[in-house]
Amino acid sequence: MNNLIVITYFIYLPIVLALTLYVARILFRNARVFMLDIFNGRTEIADSTNRLFEVGFYLLNVGFALWIMEIRGGMDGTQDMVEKLAGKVGGFAIYLGIVLFLHLWLFFRGKRKASEARRYTIPPVAPANA
Amino acid sequence: MNLNLLSYLFFLPAMMAIAVWTARSCHRNGRVWMLGIFDGEAEFVDAVNNVLLIGCYTLNLGYVTMVMSLWEPISSWEHMLATLVHRIALILLSLATIHFMNIGVLLVWSRIKHDRYTNTSLP
Repeated sequence: MNNLIVITYFIYLPIVLALTLYVARILFRNARVFMLDIFNGRTEIADSTNRLFEVGFYLLNVGFALWIMEIRGGMDGTQDMVEKLAGKVGGFAIYLGIVLFLHLWLFFRGKRKASEARRYTIPPVAPANA
Repeated sequence: MNLNLLSYLFFLPAMMAIAVWTARSCHRNGRVWMLGIFDGEAEFVDAVNNVLLIGCYTLNLGYVTMVMSLWEPISSWEHMLATLVHRIALILLSLATIHFMNIGVLLVWSRIKHDRYTNTSLP
């Protein structure tokens, strides 16, 4: 049943693409606060870095979704199709969740480093003309 | 009607609803704790909280979907009932474990924060 496998691919692809898009949009809408903190409120560079990360997130996850798409070992019947589809989609969602938490950790780390850097820079000396 | 497909049809929506409900209640009630941990920076706390909610959704819904591919073939109605209840129990138990781990992390983190900044050392 080659046909059933093709149908599965056409169900799988919209699901994973929509999932990636949805997760990325929410992640990077909320990442802006982190970026503004890391770049000391310089809006322009914070927004462009955020955008760069977002593009990277899309490339990484869409690439992985396509990479694991192939179904091996044939397919017999609707039940097998549902089970294989569920395995693929569920596995991808778990992977996406792990990548999401990795990004969150990365943002936390950036925020901590930025606040450490701010704490250890020497404050400007006040002019002594009294 | 294929009994496996019938039980998937019940299992997936029911478990997804429970996972979403758990995640949303964590999202609503965890906010107060996180405000305590992050010194009341509301904007930052909301950002982290939203990302955690989405992470919770993807991980739990992904797990619920993925375990559907591991069911054994079902032969009769009694077998279907037994398998369904067993699988639901597994999901509920793992959700409960994750939930209590979340509560534990919040408790420990806010305890550390509290100890560091109030300086209440016993004599």
